Amino acid sequence: MTKKRGLGVGSMFYGIGYGFNRADIGSAYIEMADDGTTTVYSGACDMGQGIMTVVAQVAAEVVGANIDTIRVVAADTTSTPDAGPTSGSRATFVQGIAVHEAASDLHDQLMQTAAGMFECEKDELEAHNGDVYLKDANSPIASLAEVAARVHLLGGRCASWGWHDNSTADVDPATSQGDAYASYGWASQLAEVEVDTETGHVKVLKIVSATDAGKAINPVAVEGQIQGGAAMGVGYALYEQHILDEGVPRTDSLAFYLVPTSMDVPEIQCEIVEVYDPKGPFGAKGIAEPATVPTTPAILNAIYDAIGIRITDTPATPERVFQAIQEARARGEFKD
Amino acid sequence: MEHYSLKINGHVYETGAEPFESLLDVLREKLRLTGSKKGCDEGECGSCTVLLDGKPVLSCILMVSDVRDREVLTVEGLPQGGEPHPIQVEMTERGGIQCGYCTPGIIMSAYALLQENPRPSEDEIRFAIAGNICRCTGYSKIVEALQAAAGTPIR
Repeated sequence: MTKKRGLGVGSMFYGIGYGFNRADIGSAYIEMADDGTTTVYSGACDMGQGIMTVVAQVAAEVVGANIDTIRVVAADTTSTPDAGPTSGSRATFVQGIAVHEAASDLHDQLMQTAAGMFECEKDELEAHNGDVYLKDANSPIASLAEVAARVHLLGGRCASWGWHDNSTADVDPATSQGDAYASYGWASQLAEVEVDTETGHVKVLKIVSATDAGKAINPVAVEGQIQGGAAMGVGYALYEQHILDEGVPRTDSLAFYLVPTSMDVPEIQCEIVEVYDPKGPFGAKGIAEPATVPTTPAILNAIYDAIGIRITDTPATPERVFQAIQEARARGEFKD
Repeated sequence: MEHYSLKINGHVYETGAEPFESLLDVLREKLRLTGSKKGCDEGECGSCTVLLDGKPVLSCILMVSDVRDREVLTVEGLPQGGEPHPIQVEMTERGGIQCGYCTPGIIMSAYALLQENPRPSEDEIRFAIAGNICRCTGYSKIVEALQAAAGTPIR
């Protein structure tokens, strides 16, 4: 048999947000129109991570609106307040709270007006899916749109904003001790590989990724981030090598800098772990980078399990793996 | 500058272009059909994939002069009667799209596959889109979406 299989585990924890006393701000405006359409002006830029969807979901849930009536204007410097970059696994964690605050205040304004309309106390009312209910009642007493129209008619405020500061205290400069981040993500991954001992080629057969999401606001998007993270980890472990030649990049094209294709990335089984985080919106926290970090150690451990050799340089290219096997053979330490 | 009559998505487009201009540049810059994306512009990433006489090709490394009298299909040509193609629906519904840059190329490669092989296996799907690099999704949800579009069981 020239092909040997192995299993490996990688685990990590990772700071969510910017930490170390760096500015870590989220902010959003929100407004409901007469027809019940709610516009959220969110500073968080969506490059595919799904933060616009998360913003819409948080706003809908907190206001009590139907998500189809939420319009998100995102990352437009002419209209949205600054919410910092979508990086550091922070967007849901930080911007989610800012939107939650804005939506919560808008909800309050609406319920205040509705209480006046129906001669009851604000606390006796609730809203969901675009309608206002007396608490625990089965049928609505009004739509949010009717209430919003009433607020406008009375010259009331049907808009709000939220601002959230997730900045943390810095660590002790002398000892580097302290709690650098507002929260931490936790993740473990299991990789199964097959190593061809004649060529050094490593094939990843399966990855199981367990990631602490706090609360998965959008499970499909969370899985997408986890699977994408694992794919990047596969690239880091096996393919992606940036070569500098006296400062000149020699891997400046996708022909030379290899990223994983659909043939290289295996099935990725997602296990979303939900441990409520009191600092995040609905208990949620960032998962993007945490989903990437454990993949490479899991794969390298799986290679060790398969062939008994530690590969300590990434990527574990066929050349490197084959050379390590040959060296072990020469020392009489490799059993074919 | 030469004059070209290009058959694209069942319509004839008249345009001027240099013979050595890429089909992709003509599509995007001259005809404003910006669905096909320019990722690498050297035939490596697949985001510019279009169909030429029914076969997937990389429009960034195809000269416009090679396209005369041939049928080009871009992602803009897939919807029928204003309704998105089932591949487009499934990609959207199942999270097969994150940043979206690879998406038009993936959809065109998948469309070409399903024209030839309406019920492909997972391996056949993965092989068909192997020339389309996706950096976001890890391909899992793309494969799922294409299995759903083909009506084959999803793992």
